[in-house]
Amino acid sequence: MQCADLITYLSDYIDNDLPVELTREAEEHLATCHNCKVVLDTTRHTVTLLKEHGQVAIKPVRRKAMFAQLETAFLKQPNQPG
Amino acid sequence: MADDQHLIAALRQRDTDAFAALFNQYADKLYRVAFNILKNDADAECVVQDSFLKLIEKLDGFEERSSLGTWLYRVATNLSIDRIRKARPTASLADDFSDDAPIMPAVFIDWAHTPEQWLSEDEKHRVLSAAISQLPPKLHTTFILREIEGLSTAETASVLNASTGAVKVQLHRARLQLREYLSTYFSERVNH
Repeated sequence: MQCADLITYLSDYIDNDLPVELTREAEEHLATCHNCKVVLDTTRHTVTLLKEHGQVAIKPVRRKAMFAQLETAFLKQPNQPG
Repeated sequence: MADDQHLIAALRQRDTDAFAALFNQYADKLYRVAFNILKNDADAECVVQDSFLKLIEKLDGFEERSSLGTWLYRVATNLSIDRIRKARPTASLADDFSDDAPIMPAVFIDWAHTPEQWLSEDEKHRVLSAAISQLPPKLHTTFILREIEGLSTAETASVLNASTGAVKVQLHRARLQLREYLSTYFSERVNH
């Protein structure tokens, strides 16, 4: 496997979606190619950092107010069976 | 889907416990998607509210072709993208096409084990926000749904009305573009 192939298969390798034979070839390449190993490690770490960064939630006070407004709208919505 | 059928049936009876369960299950999820697309607290809250209002309006005619969760994610994603397009009407077209560029890594500095020591919390927040904001919209939303929200490839494809193949390609490009952005940033820090 060449570097360009490794980059093409990188996401499938990270997601364990690569067939067994290609996984073996990727691991052989990664064992000897410093740059591709760096790309793999930094890609994994990029995802980890951004996952943590993206974990946000509605502020409790706003959440309570939003629920109250939506519950009122829910109860006011007329039934339209069928 | 069986749980969805019970929930929808209860919602059609205007069961307030069912509505509370629906809100508790999805409000923060929809907010996370909207906030990560829009990067604005008030706008993200409006998207969550409007998504639930749309469901309330359509409740009695809701066709269970997709799960409630997929339907709500789709509405929240589309409302968020609409807001971006309204705010930046001239930028959206170019952004949609710019994700076709081939990506080959060009920066090979190994920062994977040390970045937290290099960055203050404020700087980390700023750099990561900038990294994700520079992605074209399609890659941006795919990354948020797959990586931040943890949806499967099939679920993401359903939310975005795309094929699973397209989602995989977009996620791959997003990961590589984000890696390159952060690698370039850390490389410049090492050299100064």
